[in-house]
Amino acid sequence: MLPDDALERLMESARAVAKVCESNSLQQWEVVGEQDYGHSIDLEAGRIALAAGGGSGGLGLRVVEDGRYGYAHLADASGAQRAVKEALSIARKSPSIAGFELPVDTGSATTSGLIDRRIIDMSSEDILEQADEILSSVTALDSRAVVTGGGLGAGAGAEVIINSNGIEDGGIHTSHGFGIQVGIDEDDQLTSAYEGSSSRSRLSDIEQVVERAVHWAQITRNTIDSGEVSDCPVLMTAEGFSPLFSMVVPSALIGERMAQGESFWSNRMGEKVIADHLSIVDDRIMAGGMSSSSRDGEGAMTRRQTLVDCGRLQSSLWSTRDACRMMAEGKIEHAQTTGSASRGGYQSPPGVGCGNLLLQTSQKTHSRDSLIEEMDEGYIVHSVMGAHTANPTSGDFSVTTSMVLRVEQGEIIGALKQAGLSGNIGKALVGELLLGDEVRCHGSYSSGSMYLPDVLLKRGLRINPA
Amino acid sequence: MVIATRAQEDPSHGRGHLLDRDKIIPALELALAEGAQYAELRLVCETTNSASLRDGKLHSAIPGQEVGATLRILADGAWGVHSSTDIASIPSQIESTVRLAKAVASRRNSADAGVCLAEVPIIKDELHWHTRKDVREIDLETRLEMMGQIHAEANDDERIISVRCGWSDEHLHHELLTSEGMDRTWSFQRIMTNTMVTARDGDDVVSYRSRTGGEGGLELLDATDLGKMGRTCRESALRLLSAERAPSGKMTLVADRDLTGVYIHEALGHPCEADLVAAGDSCLEGKLGEKIGSELVTVIDDPLIRGGYGAYPIDDEGVDTRTKTLIVNGVLMDYLNHRETAHKFNLIPNGGARSQDGLHHPLVRMSNTMIMGGNHRDLDELIEDIDYGVFACGSRGGQVDTGRGSFQFAAQEAWLIENGELTKPLKDVSVSGMTLQILKQVDGLTRDAALAAPGFCGKGQTVPVGDGGPLMRIRDALVG
Repeated sequence: MLPDDALERLMESARAVAKVCESNSLQQWEVVGEQDYGHSIDLEAGRIALAAGGGSGGLGLRVVEDGRYGYAHLADASGAQRAVKEALSIARKSPSIAGFELPVDTGSATTSGLIDRRIIDMSSEDILEQADEILSSVTALDSRAVVTGGGLGAGAGAEVIINSNGIEDGGIHTSHGFGIQVGIDEDDQLTSAYEGSSSRSRLSDIEQVVERAVHWAQITRNTIDSGEVSDCPVLMTAEGFSPLFSMVVPSALIGERMAQGESFWSNRMGEKVIADHLSIVDDRIMAGGMSSSSRDGEGAMTRRQTLVDCGRLQSSLWSTRDACRMMAEGKIEHAQTTGSASRGGYQSPPGVGCGNLLLQTSQKTHSRDSLIEEMDEGYIVHSVMGAHTANPTSGDFSVTTSMVLRVEQGEIIGALKQAGLSGNIGKALVGELLLGDEVRCHGSYSSGSMYLPDVLLKRGLRINPA
Repeated sequence: MVIATRAQEDPSHGRGHLLDRDKIIPALELALAEGAQYAELRLVCETTNSASLRDGKLHSAIPGQEVGATLRILADGAWGVHSSTDIASIPSQIESTVRLAKAVASRRNSADAGVCLAEVPIIKDELHWHTRKDVREIDLETRLEMMGQIHAEANDDERIISVRCGWSDEHLHHELLTSEGMDRTWSFQRIMTNTMVTARDGDDVVSYRSRTGGEGGLELLDATDLGKMGRTCRESALRLLSAERAPSGKMTLVADRDLTGVYIHEALGHPCEADLVAAGDSCLEGKLGEKIGSELVTVIDDPLIRGGYGAYPIDDEGVDTRTKTLIVNGVLMDYLNHRETAHKFNLIPNGGARSQDGLHHPLVRMSNTMIMGGNHRDLDELIEDIDYGVFACGSRGGQVDTGRGSFQFAAQEAWLIENGELTKPLKDVSVSGMTLQILKQVDGLTRDAALAAPGFCGKGQTVPVGDGGPLMRIRDALVG
């Protein structure tokens, strides 16, 4: 799916733009390029609804003049002169940030597992066959179960970055992912469950993910009577916890937000902010990590950094620009890039975000069964609706779940039709909690990828059964 | 080259075409010769400008122009799709895309009749929704000055620790050519500004955000008191600093226009999307003609409400848009549909096909969705007989499980209602429920229905939408 010379062609385009920058005698400039190709399948009503393929890409240009920056993007190198003019015009209207310069080349990190040739060699027919297998597996597991929606895709992309300070690099990455909504509609009762998986290499867990989706569609049937509103232990599966965690925690760890006082962890550097057996690590060089790369969105070397170490806040996420700006405005004494510049694409300049974010414990981890036993009385929540409505500034959330099981005396006694779930993520992480032993990768509502286990939160959450 | 060069003709600044008819029409005919039932090529050229202010200073300004096109081919009752930013390459993808569609069709179960499209008028025309102040003529200084008005009022308190303002405007040029002979070109514009104000008092930190804008040009924001928007955000953020956590449980809820809008969008609008109904993922399947809500509830979805953020003149299958009346006095009257689902459910195509951009295929989507007004005069009359309840305002968004029919939405701020009076300010209010239950519990609407703030809707693809209504009262809502 990826032309053999995709990276070379993209680099050639970026160099052509760079040449125009040099001919305009720009003080500093940075050119990024992206080109993606892929195949995808839409699944609907137990069948393949459509098959698609294609590619897209473009270039982005950042210019810096006397600490002022401007940005423009372009479809191909033929638009370079216009982009230079536009970016420069914006830079000249922007505030000057003392000391702001684009990163110099200090090398790139070593990463592995970001390319799988088997994905590059996949044809649309291969993807169609995988879709066939998914659809038939669901029916084989439960003849009542149907894939009501979802999709499957495989892609490969090339990306490059060149700047006036000597950075010139590029690479190829691959991805393979799928997600399915499985429904069981019988006896005037519809239950459904969504599960998915994504990887830089060819997926090896399709069968397990399909089994989970069917299992949760089955286990949430035949609901029991609702209980009362209660503050009680809640076992959040990785699938249930990840959306809330991703909405709140990455934002709280951004250096600029901390310096501005916008994070609930502002002014807490060095202090205990979560339970002392927990650590939060941003590992941008994780082998095969969905958000791994050898350089960040502005070319700085990436790294693995411990942001919260044994409960204490140790570090935060910075790009070069934010670090300079916060120092220039006197909001912080010292800051420098942590290799955390993130791009949403070539259409926008880099922001700041996490890469692969991990929640880890120094204590023993537990199987899901042992967490249920440990909980004794409470609820298991496997997915939440409305995680994006959580408040990243305060950490407060109030969401709904239709995937909630009641646990009594360490045993699951049945599913509730629906329940509200509320609390504060920051405060819940301070309390008594245990982590599961299986870590799964999930996407994020803010930045990066979340690598989280099941979490048993013994205090701090409220369940409001419908 | 298929795409016209800017020197010859620039459609973003006037009438004209980017697709070369002399090359595309034969390519679509080739698709038919290869065995396709239908083929279309849709191009979208977006001329965009975004900007942001942080604490009154320019943070970013990004001018851009994106062109993408999607070839969609129906063969043997199944779809094959090819999308690219390399427009010139698309004619070379005709044969492979026909083969892709046939490969999908070959997997179809023998009982599945496959995709058929409802017939629609075949139109060749151009339609341009003109604005009084074209967004392409706005300079950066104007954008900064207008965001500055918001900032100045929002920042006027020492407890305000940051003010972020954002801006986006876009000119959208669409072209659609089909093997049926459709040849339509249309354009329109959108504009929007937003702000997020963060306040801190000791360890308490809160934020409040607001948006304004719609389909149209700069005249929309000229007519808006942006200073008032900033002031309102500041006042709300400061109020949240001392607000109490909301009570939990079932109680009477009064929703403002923003929340009424997000409620009707999530709880009813999504389950009305006929592609979800066809997929077996809607609680409204088989309920056309049934009474599903209170007598008070009448709901429309209308892309022709000019100025609404979800307005558009022609849908992405070339169908003229029209007002869709989804519910009349509690009775479900229609689904939102596109040509495929209109045929499946034997409905008249109602122009509900929308795609995120030129690189995505159309899905059934909402536009401007509203509950119509009722009989109550105002908020006072709506709450006068409520002993204990919540008045919730400003949307933080929502979500729905269309199959189960459960939904959730969250408010930015709220007040406790006690004995017919608004008493304490509250924070972190969310509301959840079941669509088919809660539509019957609507027992009061004020007369003044209107669209609320601009929004975005995600369904695999993100599209701009408008929603709104009057103030709405719901009995026994589950408040969390």
